[in-house]
Amino acid sequence: MTKQVLVFAEQVAGEIQPIALELLGAGRLLADKLGGILSCVVLGQGIGQLAPALIAGGADVVHIADHPELATYRTLPFRRVLIDLLTSFEEAPHIVLLGSTTTGRDLAPRIAAYFDTGLTADCTELDIGSYEHTNKMDPSKLGLYENCLYAIRPSFGESLKARILGPWKNPQMATVRPGVMVPSVADFTRTGQVQAVPVHLQPADLCLVVQETLRAVAHHVELTKAEVIVSGGFGLGSPEGFTLIRELASCFEHSAVGSSRKAVDAGWIPHAHQVGQTGRTVRPRLYLACGISGAIQHRVGMDKSDLIIAINKDSNAPIFKFAHHGIVGDLYQVIPEMIRQLQAPHPQEAVYAVRENQRR
Amino acid sequence: MKSFVLIKQVPDQSAKAGVNADGTIDRAKAKRMLNPFDRYALQAALHTKRTYGGTVTAITMGPPPALEILYEAIAHGVDRAILLSDRRLAASDTLATAFALFNTVRFAGAFDLIFCGLQTTDGDTAQVGPQLAERLRVPQITYCEWFEVQDGLIRARRVVEGGTQTVTCPLPAVVTVANSSERLAYKTLRGAQRVQHLQRDEQLRREVISTVTLDDIGADPERCGLKGSPTIVAATEKVGEIGGNCVFYQGKPVEMLVQDLTRNIALREWTKR
Ligand SMILES: Cc1cc2nc3c(=O)[nH]c(=O)nc-3n(C[C@H](O)[C@H](O)[C@H](O)COP(=O)(O)OP(=O)(O)OC[C@H]3O[C@@H](n4cnc5c(N)ncnc54)[C@H](O)[C@@H]3O)c2cc1C
Repeated sequence: MTKQVLVFAEQVAGEIQPIALELLGAGRLLADKLGGILSCVVLGQGIGQLAPALIAGGADVVHIADHPELATYRTLPFRRVLIDLLTSFEEAPHIVLLGSTTTGRDLAPRIAAYFDTGLTADCTELDIGSYEHTNKMDPSKLGLYENCLYAIRPSFGESLKARILGPWKNPQMATVRPGVMVPSVADFTRTGQVQAVPVHLQPADLCLVVQETLRAVAHHVELTKAEVIVSGGFGLGSPEGFTLIRELASCFEHSAVGSSRKAVDAGWIPHAHQVGQTGRTVRPRLYLACGISGAIQHRVGMDKSDLIIAINKDSNAPIFKFAHHGIVGDLYQVIPEMIRQLQAPHPQEAVYAVRENQRR
Repeated sequence: MKSFVLIKQVPDQSAKAGVNADGTIDRAKAKRMLNPFDRYALQAALHTKRTYGGTVTAITMGPPPALEILYEAIAHGVDRAILLSDRRLAASDTLATAFALFNTVRFAGAFDLIFCGLQTTDGDTAQVGPQLAERLRVPQITYCEWFEVQDGLIRARRVVEGGTQTVTCPLPAVVTVANSSERLAYKTLRGAQRVQHLQRDEQLRREVISTVTLDDIGADPERCGLKGSPTIVAATEKVGEIGGNCVFYQGKPVEMLVQDLTRNIALREWTKR
């Protein structure tokens, strides 16, 4: 049987969420390694028009569950549709992926519990590999397993990466941290199948009623979409420091202001700007860390940025261990100078390095 | 109103003691604490008792020292507590943990609301609450930051991407409490005195805190611990000091440092021109 990787594609109000395309990007790589197919399922009302974009994003098959009761995400109706879909396959999908958004983290555990299968939370890397189980404490599991999902996630306060496996049962499930996986480049010449999913809800599935949803904060979007992020940390010393950070950010196109948690905890800037384990994961083309020490919890949110520049007065700050370029100095001297030079007329000297060279 | 609150003792990661050189936790040596996220769940449960009357039962699964956090919960005003402690629970993943807790909840009896912390600081999965709800076949409200109860319905505000959502749902239900909800109040004097009594009086303690095993709660040991866990940690890797190739700019006047940087990288290409 062909192995199937199934992705739960989130949409809100008819808009495919970035995480859906990120999951398709990751899922495509896994499906190709397995020599299998990538399918996705999308639930909502009046969402048929989303199929082409999902196919362009990498899906071979798009399952669409279109029903008025699915207009807004709710645990139980979505749970029902997913369980019905998963049991309708002749063979359970090899891998099922959801985003670790509030929706994915609400839904995935229930599906995994229903099928008594494993679920790895909040992964930052996925791969396929083999595994030999030698722990004799549980003899029923001994043996060599091929084509396992390697679900890799930070653990122990993010100082370790743990590879978590559950090859004994399909589907192998994981939720994936938003902003970490690279979406595949949309290819509208791709072809795929579209299939309608029958929706059979029971009265008990509808017991929870959504009265109102308010989505107000636009900062999240800015941060995850920005090409350049200028982040300030506790090294700013005061909330006024963010004026300088904003000024530097405004020199760049498609930029946003980020921060470390200590600056947020100090009340200098709202949480929506926080980058890191308990904030946003970002991967802009350029990340400027100003007065940020580079603690592991911050690093996991930004170390996939294409180019990292750090400004810190302490040359031993951990941020310099993974930044590509580092200015050792007082940010209150460095940043104004940077702003001055960036705003000055273009100098005549050649710019040696091409951006692509900076990419890891 | 009968509320349960699920709490867990976790290693204190801010304390250096008990952290091995490779970053893993030596659970025997680590300082222990009540999972910070559970403090919000505890507050939510105590809020139901203060506002609507009834009782609060704290439930935990863990080795015997986990008794400490049950005392802590009692000092805050919890009425009754259950400690599920059994060697066969070792190496439980979230599925096995939720299964064991599901059996503990059934052992504890009927409930209106079960409060869970959003996640733990040692596992970070946020999965046990929803998995428990699935086993109990009840609705769930995750990321809850405010709620009220009326006519057998809970009305709650939950956090969603970029905003909030208000929902209503009939009881019984499982609620996981966000850390943007009400903070845990101080311990009460009565609670603290009660703990002192319990610590002195073994008989009384057993009436208030039941310590139970898998056999007591009728949970199938095959579905708990290592055996009942579909996932295992197959390998860990220290998050290395990758790169280490930082190009440094230092020891010159700031003007030159910035010039050097903008020469080396095409910073200007990103600027508004
Ligand atoms: C469970 C948990 C989750 C967490 N989640 C996150 C998260 O999501 N995001 C996050 O960022 N953190 C998070 N943290 C906190 C993290 O561990 C660090 O405490 C935090 O990132 C430190 O912030 P900072 O670098 O701004 O401050 P500091 O560590 O105080 O560093 C300030 C830096 O500024 C430099 N500096 C000072 N003055 C100047 C100056 N004038 N010019 C130049 N440099 C200067 C200093 O040399 C220092 O390196 C979390 C922690 C825990 C326990």
